[in-house]
Amino acid sequence: MKVTVKHWHAVAQWRWDTGAAEPEGPDAENEDVCGICRVPYEGCCPSCKMPGDDCPLIWGECTHVFHMHCLLKWIGTPASKQQCPMDRRTWVTAERKVATA
Amino acid sequence: MATAALRSQVAAKWHEGFSRLNRTEQGISGLISFSQAWNIATDYLHPQDISDPTTVKKHDLTSVKVAFDMINRSRRLPVMLETFLDAICNQYHLITRDIVQYLAEYEQSADTSVMLRLVYRLVEWYRAWAPIDELGPTIRAAYTLTFQTQLFSILPPGFVRGFKDLCASTLVPVAQHTPEMWEAFEILGLTDRYEGIIASVGYERIEAYVRETCTAKWDKPCLEGLRGWMSVQIVPWMLPMYAKGALNTEDARGMLQNVGSRFDFHMNKTLCDLRTSEIFDIIIDFPDSMGALQDLKECLQRVDQRASLVQALRKANRKRLLHPGADTKLILTQYVATIKCLRIVDPPGVLLFKVADPIRRYLRERPDTIRSIVANLVGDDDSGDSLVDENEPIQPLQQLETEDYNDPNWDPEPIDAGPDFRTNKPSDVISTLVSIYDSKDLFVKELQVLLAQRLLAITDDNSEKVEKERRNIEILKIRFGEAALQVCEVMLKDMTDSKRIDGHVQSQKASIVHPTIISRHFWPSLESSDIVMPGQFQALQTEYAKEFSTFKPDKKLRWLPHLGTVHLELQLEDRTIETDVPPLEAAFIELFSEKNIWTMDELIGGVGTVDRIAALKALLTWVDLGVLKEDEENKFRLLEIAEEASPPPRAAPAAVEEPTVTAAQQQQADQMRLYWKFIEGMLTNLGALPLDRIQTMLRFAPGYDQTVEQLAGFMDAARREGLVVGRDGMWKLNR
Repeated sequence: MKVTVKHWHAVAQWRWDTGAAEPEGPDAENEDVCGICRVPYEGCCPSCKMPGDDCPLIWGECTHVFHMHCLLKWIGTPASKQQCPMDRRTWVTAERKVATA
Repeated sequence: MATAALRSQVAAKWHEGFSRLNRTEQGISGLISFSQAWNIATDYLHPQDISDPTTVKKHDLTSVKVAFDMINRSRRLPVMLETFLDAICNQYHLITRDIVQYLAEYEQSADTSVMLRLVYRLVEWYRAWAPIDELGPTIRAAYTLTFQTQLFSILPPGFVRGFKDLCASTLVPVAQHTPEMWEAFEILGLTDRYEGIIASVGYERIEAYVRETCTAKWDKPCLEGLRGWMSVQIVPWMLPMYAKGALNTEDARGMLQNVGSRFDFHMNKTLCDLRTSEIFDIIIDFPDSMGALQDLKECLQRVDQRASLVQALRKANRKRLLHPGADTKLILTQYVATIKCLRIVDPPGVLLFKVADPIRRYLRERPDTIRSIVANLVGDDDSGDSLVDENEPIQPLQQLETEDYNDPNWDPEPIDAGPDFRTNKPSDVISTLVSIYDSKDLFVKELQVLLAQRLLAITDDNSEKVEKERRNIEILKIRFGEAALQVCEVMLKDMTDSKRIDGHVQSQKASIVHPTIISRHFWPSLESSDIVMPGQFQALQTEYAKEFSTFKPDKKLRWLPHLGTVHLELQLEDRTIETDVPPLEAAFIELFSEKNIWTMDELIGGVGTVDRIAALKALLTWVDLGVLKEDEENKFRLLEIAEEASPPPRAAPAAVEEPTVTAAQQQQADQMRLYWKFIEGMLTNLGALPLDRIQTMLRFAPGYDQTVEQLAGFMDAARREGLVVGRDGMWKLNR
C-alpha cells in the first residue's frame, strides 16, 4: 500500500526561539516569562494587544530576553542607567539572537 | 272595688267611643249604619279565591265607597286595615296552593313558560285582592308590603331556581313578552328582592359567551368584539329592569351607567381569568398570540389580577418548563418569549421580574446554558430560529443603573414591585440573558472556546468563513465591549497571519502542509496530546518547520499533531481510496504501509502515547472504510484486496470530528487539579480538616482563585474517585 498525502491542514503553535532549551511536556508550566512584565514571551507586553511580530522580543548581549517594548520603556527611565534589569550590566542589544546555549 | 274616679274614667271612655261611632245621629241609628258600612267594607275587602268563580261576589262600588267614607269619618280606617291585612294572611294559603301546583309542574317539564304563567297568576292574585284606589296610597302601600312579605315568606327554594331559568330564557334571544314580564316582576317586588339573581343570570351569560368565543383564539383582540356583543345582546335585556321609567335614551344611559360598568367589569374579569389560565400556551404561540396579550393588558388595567397571573405562570412554568426533560434551548426560547410577552402586558416589567426569577435560577443551574446562549449569539444554530430578533438594534450590554432622581420623567416603581425589584428598562434580550449570570466573563470564555472550535474546523483556505467569524465578533464586541473580546481578535489575526505565512512558505518551497499557526495563551487550552506522527508525516512537519524558521528567524513551530485534517489517497492493489481523516487515523494508516498486520499495542506504540479508546475509534474509521479488518481482537490487518465480507466502502468521507477543545468547565477542573498536591499535603500533615479550613490554607497558594463552592465541588469529585472521605463536614485522605 502506498499512502499519499494530498493536503494536510495541520495546527501548530509558534514560539520565540529564545535559545533556551525547549521546555518539555505538553503544558510546559515553567515557560519563560519576560523579566519585566512577567508575561510569557508569546504573550504581549502590557501596552500591546497583538502578540508576535507586533510585540517582538529583544535579545541582550547578556543573554537576557525581554519584550522589546518593556525593555525600551525601562531603558527610557533615568533609574535604569542603561542597565539590564536582570544583571545590572550595561544593556547591549545583541545583533541576532544569542547562540543556542 | 272601683273607685268613683275610675268609674267616671271608664264612663268617659265609653261615651267617647260611642259618640265617635254614633256621630251626632239620634239614639243608636248612627251605630247601626256604621256597623252596616263596616260589614260592606270588610266583605268587599275580604280576599277571595279567584280560582273558584262561584265564591266571587260582585259589589256595588258606590255603596262600597259610601261605606268606606263612613268608616273613614269615624276614624276607624286603621282598624279596618288591620282586619284586612289579617284576612290576607289568613287567605294566603290559596296562593300557596297555586305556587306549589305550578312549581310541581315546572319541576316536571322544566319549561320556563310555566314559571311565566306562575308569575302572571301571582299578579292576578295581587290585583284581585287590592283595595280600591280611593283609600289612598298609604293603604295601598301597606297592602303591597304585606302581600309581598307573605309571598316571599312562602316561596319555596325551587322558585329561585325556576326564576333564574326564566330570566335566562329571556336573554337568548330577547323574547317578545319581556316588557310585561318585567312589569309583573316589578308589581310583585321580585326585581328588588332577586336583583342579585337577575344580575347573576347576566354574569353567567357573559362568562359562557366569553369562554365560547375567546378560548384559544389569540390572534386578534377579543375585547372590542365582546363590548359590541354586550351592547347588542345584554344591554337591551337590562333595559326594562335597570332603566325602568326612563323617558328617553339619554335617561336610560344614565341609569345603565352603574350596572353597565359592573357588567363590563365582569366581562373583563372573565376574559382575564381565561387568558391567565392560558398564559403559558399564549407565550408559546407568541408572536401569533399578540391579540390575546393586548386583551390581557387592557383587562389587567381594570381588574386587579396581576398577582394571580404571576402565580399561574409560575406554576405553569414549574410544571411544564423547568424540569429535566426540557431542552435548555427550549427553556431559553420560552424565557425570551416570556420576556417579550410580559413586556407587552406590563411595560414596567414587574410581572416579568416576578416570573423570570425562578426561570433564571433554574437556568443558572444548568451546565449548558451558557453554551446555548453563546451558540445562539454567534448564529451557530441548527434550528435556525434565533433567540435574538434580527431587527433588534445591537446595543452594548446594559449595566444596572441606579435610579436617577434628577430625571424629570422619573416614575416611582409600581406598587406591586418587590423590594428587590430592579428596573432594567428598555434592555434587550441578550442583556437579560447574559445577566442570568453575575459576570459576563463566563460568556466570553465560552465564546472563545466556541470560536476556537469553529476556526480550527475551517480546513481549506476559506477566507470567507474567517470573514464571517470576524463579522460575528465585531457584532459581539458592541455587546461585550472591545476589551473582553481582545483574545478573539488575536485568534482571528492568527488565522489571516497563518494564511499569509503559508503563502510565503509555499512560494519558497511548495508543501502539502498548510498549517494554522496559533498564538499560545490566546487560544483556549487545547487538549494536549503526545502523538508522534510517523513516517512521511514527520518529514513533512520538519520540512515545513524549517522553512518557517527561515522566514521568521526568531520563531519556531511546535506542532499540535492531534488537530487538523489530512486528505489522503491510499493506493491499494485493487483500488484507490481518497478520504479526509483526522491526524491519528492518518498516522495509523501510515504505519500499515510498513507492514500489513499490527496489534493494537504496537500501533499505539508507533504513534507515541495515545488513549486506547481514541485509538480504537481511529482504527474503526478504517474498518468502516473497508481498508482494515479486525481479524481477532486487537489485531488489525490491511486489506490489500477488498474482501466480500467487508462492508462496502462508504462514499462519504469519514465524519471529520470537530477539533477537541477543552470546555471551560474542564479547564477549571484541570486548574483545580493543580491544587490537589496542596490539599493532599495538608491532609497528610494535619489529618482531617473542614472545608473552610482547606479553603483558607489554599488561599496562600499562588494564583488560587476558587470559591468555597468550587472547592466543595472538587472535593466531591475527589471523593467519587476514592481519594478522600468526607464525614461530618471533615475531609480526610482515604487510605
